[in-house]
Amino acid sequence: MTQPAVVFEEISKFYGEVLGVNRVTLNIPPGITSLVGPNGSGKTTLMNLMTGLIFPDHGRILMRGISPRDPEALMRMTGYATQYDTAPRWATGFTFITTGLLLFGYGRSEAEERAWKALERLSLTDAANRKVAAYSKGMRQRVRLAQAIAHDPELLVLDEPLNGLDPLVRAETIDMFRAWAAEGKHVIISSHVLQEVDLISDQVVLIANGMIVAEGKIRKVRDEIEEHPSQYIVRCRESDASGVAALLFGEDHITEIKLNDDRMGMLVMTRDREQFARALGRIALDGHRIESVVPADENVDALYEYLIGGER
Amino acid sequence: MTPRSVQGRAGQAWTIAKIELRRVFFARRSFWVYGLALLPSVIFLGHGIDAKTDIERLGRRGLTAPALMDSIREGESLDDVKKRVGQPAAERWSVRSRRVRQRTGNAGTTTHPIEPPVGARFVRLNITRPSFNGEPVARIYEFEVYGPDGRANLALHRPATGSIPCGQDQGPEKAVNGSVTGGQADRWCAADWPLFLQVDLGAVRPVQRFVVKHASAGGENEDSDTREFNIQVSENGKTFTTVGSSTGGGYVDERTEVRQIAYFDGRRRADLVFIDGRVQHRNVRRLLDFEEDRAIFAGIFQYFYLRLAIFFGCLGIFMYLFRGEMSNRTLHFWFLAPARRDVLLAGKYAAGLIASAVIFGGGALLTFAAMIWPHDAVEVQAYWNAGGMGHAFWYAAAAALGCVGYGSVFLAIGLYLRNPIIPAAVLLTWESVNGIFPHVLQKMSILYYLQSLCPVPAPMDSDTPTLIRLLAAPAAPASRPGAMLGLLLLTAFVLWVAGLAVRRMQISYGAET
Repeated sequence: MTQPAVVFEEISKFYGEVLGVNRVTLNIPPGITSLVGPNGSGKTTLMNLMTGLIFPDHGRILMRGISPRDPEALMRMTGYATQYDTAPRWATGFTFITTGLLLFGYGRSEAEERAWKALERLSLTDAANRKVAAYSKGMRQRVRLAQAIAHDPELLVLDEPLNGLDPLVRAETIDMFRAWAAEGKHVIISSHVLQEVDLISDQVVLIANGMIVAEGKIRKVRDEIEEHPSQYIVRCRESDASGVAALLFGEDHITEIKLNDDRMGMLVMTRDREQFARALGRIALDGHRIESVVPADENVDALYEYLIGGER
Repeated sequence: MTPRSVQGRAGQAWTIAKIELRRVFFARRSFWVYGLALLPSVIFLGHGIDAKTDIERLGRRGLTAPALMDSIREGESLDDVKKRVGQPAAERWSVRSRRVRQRTGNAGTTTHPIEPPVGARFVRLNITRPSFNGEPVARIYEFEVYGPDGRANLALHRPATGSIPCGQDQGPEKAVNGSVTGGQADRWCAADWPLFLQVDLGAVRPVQRFVVKHASAGGENEDSDTREFNIQVSENGKTFTTVGSSTGGGYVDERTEVRQIAYFDGRRRADLVFIDGRVQHRNVRRLLDFEEDRAIFAGIFQYFYLRLAIFFGCLGIFMYLFRGEMSNRTLHFWFLAPARRDVLLAGKYAAGLIASAVIFGGGALLTFAAMIWPHDAVEVQAYWNAGGMGHAFWYAAAAALGCVGYGSVFLAIGLYLRNPIIPAAVLLTWESVNGIFPHVLQKMSILYYLQSLCPVPAPMDSDTPTLIRLLAAPAAPASRPGAMLGLLLLTAFVLWVAGLAVRRMQISYGAET
């Protein structure tokens, strides 16, 4: 028997004229999966699609074999901690979770017991009987997490779950994720900081502008980005492009050079940004007049720079 | 309880309903719904208390024999009535005074004799207040001067001067042309201060009488007549002597004594209005008229309760169920529950329905009780034996079924549209003009069925305009079972349409703001 997976087939979602996500195809096995991308890249859209809060315009989604259009079956095994920072005005942390559990068909005493257990796991028992609306941001984050896990789901979709947690709770939460993943559950989390999820994820999905940029095991994604040739447009003065090109060809990290017809510019592909930068420096010192160097392929590059916080 | 069974889903819907019920009943926004539901009962309670205290108060002052009370006729004098019927149970009087215009008299003509006659060549009319209505325009159609023989108008066709006229054809000569019948072109008219008109008689002559014909003599409104003026004479045209003045007829106070007295025979109250000591108006009515109160109840129930209170109450309750949660950004909690969307719809509808039916059905019964409460136990017993219980039941049932119908409509509107104002206005119009449409279209209105359920047709004065009568009354009321079936079918259809919307509904809080 194959592993139950979260499957997206050619999913597109438009908000009116605006593109949400475009032709996303995914196959996520159990374990911890991180959706990583800048704000507005479509992470929440993907999560809302997974849980049936919104429906795709094209394509098919199966969550462990169940369509998100069947909430009765899907939500029984799924917990979704949204980023919507709202709670009903009447709700205390305890009643909020208990009420949700009643809808699963649990009796009141079992619902209360499970609610209490979930609050305990997120160290919220002290605040259990206070109004959620009066909670701090981190506490509201935790109460949403508690609600998502209270019915012991097999598939957890958690939108920025580590946001606003203090280091201790954060470490505990990550341990929890690992424990669930070890049980064969899906733990799908989102983040806009790659480092945050780097170490804990079994696989990573990099997303930008509604498209999947890279996907797979975390090591593979790193390599993919590093090996992905970067493209630069180099412009020189006084038709010196061919001279510069000749020098650049000598470098072994350069994979390809295309000279422009005006002999003043060229498109350079390199496997190593740093060596390329050093080489340009040497060439300039030799007296060649390089006017500008502009990255031509901003997508992956910029995204990566952004995600790792400009470390490299 | 297996979740995918019918019982499982029903149980889930009931769980949702229970959660929502508390919010619908106790939400702050529900308070005006309670206000709408309870308003009629407050009105009837007030009426009952008012009538009961009246009976108590009037009764303490002594009762009058009914026959004696009925014998009072219009035109009788106060003293006669008191002597014959006795001291009234209530009495108060007032003097109504109003300023009325003293008429110029004699069709806008004033005559001013002087004694003895004086010699004069120049005669001048000075106008100090030109009109009664405040208009600063003097209008004189004719100014006549007579000597002691009194025959000939000495001013006729004599040269006349005066303040600058209003128009070219309204010069001073028009006041001495011997005619008043030529309309506005036959008058002297001036608005230029000082206002005066002067006639040169040609030579010094004895004069004894002046006649002034004002605006109303020429057919204009009496209020344009000259209010205050004086007449001066002169022999040389330089030194003038005032020989007469007139306030032209001013204002006087007209005083009328109005006395209201009341007699009470234990059930009926006779109100008599005496104007200047004579019965001008008499009105005998029962302080508590059960039949009348029941008709008023029927009217309030149909025109206010069904058409407005339940309509807007359901708008407030049912529109909120989805639309309100969307704008509060809490709807996703429901969508993330392991429940089909139509189960969610059913649960929310059930919560709204239970709450609104309890509020408005209860409100109707409370109003009915408040209407009955002050009345005589014997009368009430007779009404009860003659089907009063049935009436109460059908009023409550009509109110509850109103919630069934309007609730489904507003639930559906809340799913399809963001702003409730326009659809509510359209629906209200549709519901109220529905009576003039063909029968097939009438069946598409909730009110049509509700009216058919009411036990008593709403009262309608015989002088009501035809259009309003058409709007207010169903042309062909359905039978009760037919009306209930029709209403339930209509509701089922609307809920089915709502179900389509809720299944397609997506969370888009961003677009809500």
